[in-house]
Amino acid sequence: MSSNSVPSPQSSSTATARPAVPSQRRSAGLALLGSELTVLFRRRRTWAMLVAIALIPILLAVAVRLSSQTLSPGEGPPFLDRVTQNGLFVAFTAMIVAIPLFLPLTIGVVAGDTIAGEAGLGTLRYLLVAPAGRVRLLLVKYAGVAVFCLAATLTLAVAGTLIGAALFPVGPVTLLSGDVIGVPESLLRSALIALYVTVSLLGFAAIGMFISTLTDVPVGAMAATVVVSVVVQILDVLPQLAWLHPWLFSHYWLGFADLLRQPMDLGSFGDNALLQLGYIAVFGALAYGRFSTKDILS
Amino acid sequence: MSRNSVKWLPAIVVPVVIVAGVLAVPLQAGAAVDLPDKTAEEVLLMVSDSTVTAYSGTVEKKAELGLPDVDLAAGMPDSMSESAAEGTTGPGADAAGALTSVLELFSGSHTARIYVDGSDADAPAKARVQIQDRMDERNVVSNGTDVWAYDSKTNTASYLAIPADARATAQAKFAEMAAGAPAELSTPSQVAERFLAEIDPSTTVSVGTDGTVAGRTAYELVLTPKATQTLVESVSISVDSETGMPLQVTVRANGQEEPAFEVGFTAVDFSTPSAELFEFTPPADATVDEVTLPVMPEQSADQTKPEIPAENLPVVTGTGWDAIVEVPAASVPAELSANPLMSEFATPVDGGQVFSTSLVNVFLADDGRIFAGSVPVELLQAAADAQ
Repeated sequence: MSSNSVPSPQSSSTATARPAVPSQRRSAGLALLGSELTVLFRRRRTWAMLVAIALIPILLAVAVRLSSQTLSPGEGPPFLDRVTQNGLFVAFTAMIVAIPLFLPLTIGVVAGDTIAGEAGLGTLRYLLVAPAGRVRLLLVKYAGVAVFCLAATLTLAVAGTLIGAALFPVGPVTLLSGDVIGVPESLLRSALIALYVTVSLLGFAAIGMFISTLTDVPVGAMAATVVVSVVVQILDVLPQLAWLHPWLFSHYWLGFADLLRQPMDLGSFGDNALLQLGYIAVFGALAYGRFSTKDILS
Repeated sequence: MSRNSVKWLPAIVVPVVIVAGVLAVPLQAGAAVDLPDKTAEEVLLMVSDSTVTAYSGTVEKKAELGLPDVDLAAGMPDSMSESAAEGTTGPGADAAGALTSVLELFSGSHTARIYVDGSDADAPAKARVQIQDRMDERNVVSNGTDVWAYDSKTNTASYLAIPADARATAQAKFAEMAAGAPAELSTPSQVAERFLAEIDPSTTVSVGTDGTVAGRTAYELVLTPKATQTLVESVSISVDSETGMPLQVTVRANGQEEPAFEVGFTAVDFSTPSAELFEFTPPADATVDEVTLPVMPEQSADQTKPEIPAENLPVVTGTGWDAIVEVPAASVPAELSANPLMSEFATPVDGGQVFSTSLVNVFLADDGRIFAGSVPVELLQAAADAQ
């Protein structure tokens, strides 16, 4: 994802103003991305959020382990009743629990901070002093958010698998279709689910970045982004708006269940990817319009 | 300033392109299908000559019958549906559960994946149906001799063995029927001709506009009732132009723009599905129960008949689409009228209660009789008054 987001000579909209040394600019973009990721993952806030994400499956598994009450099938969040028999289900349950609020919250924080955070700190001017260009800065910032999305979902999956393996027996996993797969394949599917959820969140991340270009107050951008996610999820459960549901970015957030069917159902993955691409295009263009015409005063 | 407006251009162009794309794709799929003209009889022949024995695909069902959406429970937080489930425990819970699952079939939309392999003519056809719910799936797997049903929500598997003699009898009966059929019905084309003649008094059969279903070009066979009083506007069957397999059935109701009931493929593949799909082993941690077919003695049909007095049998008035079925009070099961779900869905009218959908109306008269038919409520009331 990250390498794709680096501007290539063809895709950048500043093609006309381009000097004749694309390889140099490319490496400059990579360097910018590298420094962006270093800054992002050096922040204590980023680590705090990743630790909090890892705590979700840990708390869940510990609670189930300590509780003497056995759940009957179908009780509680999906897969929770399976956890005591098979620790690998911890990751799936944790994913379901984290998707509606916690993941959007952390991504809202990172995405809302992209531009507004630099503006608020007064560092945006310096970033743009280097002949980097605003488009490149936007792309690099977005790539940073995307990497954080992946890091967040992988953290959830890995922490869930590890704590599940530590506290519960691990064995072949029963899929939704009733077929049973071995442990290696189930780990592969966990990784695919993390990827699916990452892709599902990319459209939302683009919205967060657009909101971030609107203001110099990072907290405002973060809050607005999280509010957007909550509002859209409320719209997604109202039956009166059924016609709108397939167009909401949160519509496929729990669609990763399709990866737990046998054979795997990749139809919703394709629809989801297309939908997220649409959101990225629209809000990327809006962010470009806003950011490239903005007076940078700080 | 003009420089700045250029920079806003992508923000305007991109949404316009996306909206145009979203609008254009279904138009493109729907338009520009022109198949060689066929008569209704030729299309029927295509269906009966169809040699498709193995296929897989995704089937979508949509029902807009005006019934309350039972799927609503799926959108509720778990704690809510849980307490709702607890509230229904008691003697009526089973009946309510059964009624709910029937209502579920006729409301909302569902997606299922279907795999069928009947390519081996000597062996019984294998099939697998997967009904996909958001976080769950219900499976029915048959390898021809064993049938497994698996519900991921409750993690239960049910097993049913198809007795070998049941298959043999079915085949024998079919052969017997084929042999006993009049000589003029020996070829499919004669059957098609006969079918059209039989339904001609009540129904107009025509070939509608060619279209695309599941990405395949299809003929549309339209059955339109000649009766004016019925709620059914038309039934259309889309038939794949290449293989003759019916791909979609749409039932339209009068005065409703959306189809009242529609079931059809959204994707179909005519290659033989992998054999592994039809072999099912229940997961080790699942609850397994075995279902046994009720044993039917040969004479059972004759034995049960005298038990229902003639006056308690349902009476059908009229023929064709606007027929009305009357069930006498004596043979209406008591649980039905006592069921709390029933009173929730029924609306009181003159002389009883009405359970109304866009395709079928059911009139529960105060004296216990039930009238049902694909006709307006007034006709049902009139039929009740007439007797």
